[in-house]
Amino acid sequence: MNARVELPPAREVCPTTTRRLLGEGALLVDVRELSEVAQLAFDVPGVLLLPLSELEQRYAELPRDRQLVLVCAVGERSLKATYFLMYQGYTQVANMEGGIMKWARKGFPIRGTAQAAAPAATNCCFAPAPARNGCC
Amino acid sequence: MDIKVLGTGCANCKATIALIEQVAQAKGVPVTLGKVEELREIMGYGVMSTPGVVIDGKVVHAGGIPSRDKIEKWLGA
Repeated sequence: MNARVELPPAREVCPTTTRRLLGEGALLVDVRELSEVAQLAFDVPGVLLLPLSELEQRYAELPRDRQLVLVCAVGERSLKATYFLMYQGYTQVANMEGGIMKWARKGFPIRGTAQAAAPAATNCCFAPAPARNGCC
Repeated sequence: MDIKVLGTGCANCKATIALIEQVAQAKGVPVTLGKVEELREIMGYGVMSTPGVVIDGKVVHAGGIPSRDKIEKWLGA
């Protein structure tokens, strides 16, 4: 089945850096389920919705030659998605730590209300992302 | 036989380890059983659904607790 790859630690960026990267042409990839997005969404032009549950089947839709920033509710599922893409050979990928909850707390553009967005139940077996010293 | 269970420690992962231990003992098959709990390491096997089971370096199972039958097959029992 799957060959083993020694993955380096994933690049993680804070929401502020994410906005800078978006300004430089990066693509925001939201891996939350569509029901979550319906309640609270990133108000960012061109954000791509690709639920984590479909990533394995659809990841080839994601460009390899463009910086991707993966996002979710709190930055855990998106970290998993980031590692998955790294496993598939993507090099220009980064996880946005803190997710849309942190993005909203910083007053960055959203559609919907942050209170509504409790993170959906993830797959079984998911460790919380370790604490990071972000730039924010 | 080297067996690794991939997963970050939730109930299904614990159940998988316990079940493999049980079957190995019942069938008298010597195994070294280890856990891979760190996300980066787990993803190094490309496994999106845990628990995952790796035997002698190969992923043989991903997602949910494997059945006893399946485990017996892996152990050649």
